[in-house]
Amino acid sequence: MSMTELIIELTLMPLVAFVLGLGMVLMMRRIAARIQRRVGPPFLQPLYDIIKLYGKQTQISHGLIHEIGIIMAVGGYVAAETLLPVPGMNGLADKGGAITLAYVMMIPSLGLALGVGQCANPNGSIGISRALTAMLAYDIPFILVIFGAAYVYGTTNLADIIALQQQQGPGGWGIMQMPLLAIAGLLTLPAMMGKHPYEIYVAPAEIATGPMVEMGGKFMGGLFVMQCFQLYTVAVLYTTLFLGGGENWLTFLPKIFAVVAIPMSIAYVFPRYRTEDVVRLMWKWPVLVGLMGLAVIMK
Amino acid sequence: MTSLDHLLLLSALTVVVMLAIGNRQAVGWIATLLYSAQGMALLLMSDLGYGTAAAVQSGLSVQVLGHQLHWRFDALSWFFALITIGAALLSSWFSAGEWAQAYRRHGGSLRLFHTALALNVLSMLVLLASGDLLSLFIGWELVSWASFLIMALGSSTATRYAMRYLTYAFAGAMAVLGGLALVYSMVGSFQFQALKTAAPSMDSSSLWLLFLLFAAGFGVKMALLPFHLWQAKAYAETPGPGAAFLGAISSRMGLFAIAIVLVQLIGIARLVEMPIPFSFLSARDLLAWIAVFTIILPTFTALRQHDARRLLAWHGIGQGGYMLLGILIADDLGSAGGLMHVFNHATYQAMLFMTVIAVIHRTGTSDLNQLGGLVARMPLSFVAMLIGIIGLAGLPPMNGFVSKWLVYRSLILDGSPLLFLGAVIGTLGTILSVYKLIHNTFLGQLRLEHENVEEAPLSMILPMMILSAVVFITGYFPGLVLDWVATAQAAMGLPALAHHLGGVASDKGGLDMIWIVSILLAGFAIGTLVFFSGNRHKRVHQLDNYAGGHFLTAETRYQYSDNFYPGLMHLIGPWYRKSFRWLERGFVSTVDTVSMAMQGLYRQAHPSLYLLVVVVSALSWVVIQ
Repeated sequence: MSMTELIIELTLMPLVAFVLGLGMVLMMRRIAARIQRRVGPPFLQPLYDIIKLYGKQTQISHGLIHEIGIIMAVGGYVAAETLLPVPGMNGLADKGGAITLAYVMMIPSLGLALGVGQCANPNGSIGISRALTAMLAYDIPFILVIFGAAYVYGTTNLADIIALQQQQGPGGWGIMQMPLLAIAGLLTLPAMMGKHPYEIYVAPAEIATGPMVEMGGKFMGGLFVMQCFQLYTVAVLYTTLFLGGGENWLTFLPKIFAVVAIPMSIAYVFPRYRTEDVVRLMWKWPVLVGLMGLAVIMK
Repeated sequence: MTSLDHLLLLSALTVVVMLAIGNRQAVGWIATLLYSAQGMALLLMSDLGYGTAAAVQSGLSVQVLGHQLHWRFDALSWFFALITIGAALLSSWFSAGEWAQAYRRHGGSLRLFHTALALNVLSMLVLLASGDLLSLFIGWELVSWASFLIMALGSSTATRYAMRYLTYAFAGAMAVLGGLALVYSMVGSFQFQALKTAAPSMDSSSLWLLFLLFAAGFGVKMALLPFHLWQAKAYAETPGPGAAFLGAISSRMGLFAIAIVLVQLIGIARLVEMPIPFSFLSARDLLAWIAVFTIILPTFTALRQHDARRLLAWHGIGQGGYMLLGILIADDLGSAGGLMHVFNHATYQAMLFMTVIAVIHRTGTSDLNQLGGLVARMPLSFVAMLIGIIGLAGLPPMNGFVSKWLVYRSLILDGSPLLFLGAVIGTLGTILSVYKLIHNTFLGQLRLEHENVEEAPLSMILPMMILSAVVFITGYFPGLVLDWVATAQAAMGLPALAHHLGGVASDKGGLDMIWIVSILLAGFAIGTLVFFSGNRHKRVHQLDNYAGGHFLTAETRYQYSDNFYPGLMHLIGPWYRKSFRWLERGFVSTVDTVSMAMQGLYRQAHPSLYLLVVVVSALSWVVIQ
């Protein structure tokens, strides 16, 4: 592959991710609306939201680190998207692999945490302490899932993992080869997306406690963009590991949207869990199922 | 005189000079110069590090009771010596300026401090140069005493824990001595080669004994579980840059000795062949599990600390587990990760200690409950700490990620999910804990009394900046360090890692940090563009924020670090309070019971009972026969 092609890919991948992420946010809101018997937002609402936030007149910054934190939150995901192969574009998949991706995905969280820290708002600190605890909770089953996939396919290269699954057809998909791990991954998904019922650290409607408390205008907008990327990344990663990626965009898109839709439809029925319950829940069921899955694949 | 002799003589000269001129103000600068000279002498041997030269022998060799003691440097020693001298150089540079004045003002003796530091370096070099088991033991003892010297300079707490270390070190040395006696009785020689040739044919039971003696003896220095209780407090209270030096390299000497004896001489393959009775684990698994628990438990203990130096010292113990775990896997990736982690950990750990000491220098405290909001006052120290914590947490783009990646990768290839999980749990705990560190030092609310704090002096900032550059550059181009690591692996008789400047190429999933870091930087650039595409922002005062209807004033203190993660502690806190305490108590009462039994036996408290026991066993022996 020539350098120009690679650069075009590296530019396209985050862009595609952003657009699809907007679509996922829309879908998620519509699902929530249907469950709550509302109509839901119009098609372009996520885009309007972002434009509104970036264009707001009052933009309050609490210092340089506050700004850098938001930049890290968006930039980290922009980089992460280039490590995630999609149909037709492999980007930097062979330079990093699954473990690197898992760790690059922690950079936005760290950025957000730093930004919130600079705001010097006690409620923000409480929110971050909860958010990092939640990360500790869901990353343990997630890393088990990564281990299982890398072990079964004998590689950490995500492009190779996709190729191996596609060679064998749907019977070779991760979900058939390691169903228990796929279940563990599915249980972890909503927490990784930072959504219901694991979103106590955001707690938007309840209390003024959370990382967002000092975020307004383009700071909030940055977090909105980050959310789009977050949904997309988690969905594509799950599709890559368990659903054989996509031969082309026609088969790929339904898969990634379904990966977001299924847990969301279930999740919105539940109330929020408290932080310690998130940890307890994540360390119990997904880890248990994941370990059983590993025991099966490793005999 | 070989170049190794020059290096050792220079090091000895440093000790003498420090002893002679110790109490002058300029002693720190002279020490820095002398360590630079040692560094030069080491660089003259850099052929060793790149594998283009055979081991350098020392001209000195001693005949003791018919045993030849000799000293030499190979690639592994060179690699460790590079870290040792680098840490000493930057620590003494850090100490040379305002820190020395302040230390003297508070009644510290610069002579003692610098002599102890120089002695540490000398003894470590002697240990690293050891060419046979006897000289290894001599070096080991020297290192133990030297590190006691520097620890004992600190506060009364440090002295108390240094004394505790001394008891541990004595016990460890006795274990090592026992191991040596065992080797001698079986092999008849103290030479490395002799043990290496004899190891494959030794019977399992004596090898088990040897393994336990050496692992426990050297493990004390590494603060492997359960010998970890001395280290954190002793290191944390060591005066200023001494803590940075000890935290960077001191306990890695234990790893060096384990690498020599267990990996290079006895061999991992032999350890794998030694099963633990009634289990499916081998001796290697036992040690690997100890390494994993050494990662997890100290890391989560660090999470509970509210003193910045203790927090770092506890992490130092935890990170040692990664190194041991890496070299125990003993394939090319894992052992490279373990060895590279020694270098990486030394760079960011020294830097993190330096930032904390700079904060102490300016504010007088390292208590996280009494700090906060210093980022605008000490921006460069903040940057150093930020780079350091990203390295310690093992996230890209810093060097700590590369070594941990290598360890993870080889654990996946090795098919050890639980060890892998343990290693990752440690990393996640580290992220939580280092965020608490930086949040409660530099972010959050600025206290009134710190309103006028200034940036640390240049003599402190420069070493930190150099280390930041090293942490970032060796993360960007890990090949620079992997060159040395691969040579060291070859010297240990392990498969050397095939690598390139950016990392590892492999058909099973490689790593190219040049691309990863570049794309991250590009991502941040795009993030910046996106950010500035929004409307213009305005900066406000930190107290101008939303607190649910309350008005925040500077008098209201809301920065906190006790119970920073209540959700997590709600869950794992009871384990610390109950299970571990219970285990400790169980251990103590077992020892108590044994000692009571021994006392009873010695005083012959129940002669009739003993008589009965003897008669019954004699009878049963007769019956069985």
